[in-house]
Amino acid sequence: MDSTARKSEPLLRVEGLSLSYQRGDGRLSVLEQIEFEVEEREFLALVGPSGCGKTTLLKLIAGLEQPTAGQIHLAGNPVKRPSRSVGFVFQEPTLMDWRTVEANVTLPLELNGGNRKRAREEAQTLLDLVRLTGFEDAYPAQLSGGMAQRVALARALVHDPQLLLLDEPFGALDALTRERMGRELLRIWQARRKTVVMVTHSVPEAVLLADRVLVLGPRPASIIAEVPVDLPRPRTAEMRETPACSQVARRVRDALEQVDLH
Amino acid sequence: MSREQLTRIGLALISFGVFLGLWQAVVRLGGYPAFILPPPQAVAQRLVSLVASGTLWRHVQVTLKEILAGLALGAVTATVLGYLLAHSPLAERLLAPYIVASQSVPTVAIAPLLVIWFGTGILSKILVCALIVFFPILVNTVVGVRSVSQDLRDLMRTLQADRWQMIWMLEVPAALPTLLAGLKVGATLAVIGAVVGEFVASDRGVGYLLKQGQQLYDTPLVFVGIATLVVMAQALYGIVALAERGLLRWQKH
Repeated sequence: MDSTARKSEPLLRVEGLSLSYQRGDGRLSVLEQIEFEVEEREFLALVGPSGCGKTTLLKLIAGLEQPTAGQIHLAGNPVKRPSRSVGFVFQEPTLMDWRTVEANVTLPLELNGGNRKRAREEAQTLLDLVRLTGFEDAYPAQLSGGMAQRVALARALVHDPQLLLLDEPFGALDALTRERMGRELLRIWQARRKTVVMVTHSVPEAVLLADRVLVLGPRPASIIAEVPVDLPRPRTAEMRETPACSQVARRVRDALEQVDLH
Repeated sequence: MSREQLTRIGLALISFGVFLGLWQAVVRLGGYPAFILPPPQAVAQRLVSLVASGTLWRHVQVTLKEILAGLALGAVTATVLGYLLAHSPLAERLLAPYIVASQSVPTVAIAPLLVIWFGTGILSKILVCALIVFFPILVNTVVGVRSVSQDLRDLMRTLQADRWQMIWMLEVPAALPTLLAGLKVGATLAVIGAVVGEFVASDRGVGYLLKQGQQLYDTPLVFVGIATLVVMAQALYGIVALAERGLLRWQKH
């Protein structure tokens, strides 16, 4: 990646991040001393046991929650509150049932009071990108889970955020749809080249999509391994079967197994 | 009109015809005098005379005004208070016991008090209506606002929605199905509220007509009053149901 010029300032910098809650008499520690950086246009995957606080980490990056200690910088600015520089995709599609597909996608622009016609054009471009042309006037209730999640993806991209946060975006889908959505996301990412931080449970998904995989330990979570994915771009779904890919996947799995032994 | 709709109307007409027939038969076979149980045609005649003289419409107008004003007042205060309760655990802890306790007092029993305080005019009836519709709408508002998904709230926050956008673009539409369900219940309750108010003290309104009929043993008049109230309650319910169909079109697909 062409990052020599930017090496001094990564797009996202997470330093000494900890989070704990007051729980009865004691404190419940969720995240402990998390530290990592994400370069511009990098795709970072976070894997770890369920309930380890991955979602919380994304919410902290989005400014939806405040850490107990540590700092987050996005494009050089400290993250103190939610900001429009972030596009968020939740595990569930999280669409507004009363809005059409198109109106769901234009929501971020509407909230900003932008030009309606321009918003619709932007939405159209993105609906084409996620292959939902012709579904503009459909309501979420009429969509399958995979389609709904593609609408959510289009909505997260429409205001052109600097950073895309994906919280197990395909976690609620069946295995086949999930695999297809992984390929779709790969294609969309290659077309848009956003900086992405994605939480996932699926090791093959992480390896296929990401430039780097961070493995988180059980609660209180900290980063226990960092696995670079040195597979060439553009990638295709077929690369999953290559030895290079299985090798990376094995390294990630080994790290996760270390976690289980603890 | 579709075949299905025609069948439904046909069935309704048939069942109404059977009802009138049974009524007539009971009057005939029982040999009841008209002031106990008037035959259908006596009621129909009374209805025609009341409509022709404009008396019925004059009283319906009064009751309708009380219902609509009471419903509006009760619904607005219940929605605003319900919204605050849904958002403030402190307010809920402070007010919830009183609100629940107030529900065990029958509104009918408060009506005389309201008449003492606010007079025998239209205001006391409006307040009875407002009081009776208040609780169901309040509860539905709290439930509706609480049901808004946390993810959608988070989404709105990442998009830096302001307070009003949060209300009008997320909470109101998300809570609307529950709100309208409460309003439907409220619409029929409001009719009861108005009549109760008029029973206590009034010189006009459909409730007043009923009371007149009772005092004069003008039983056909009582029947006309009851039928009028049924039609009013049904119409109000129908209007809300229609609004619901229009506003919640996204639900049916």
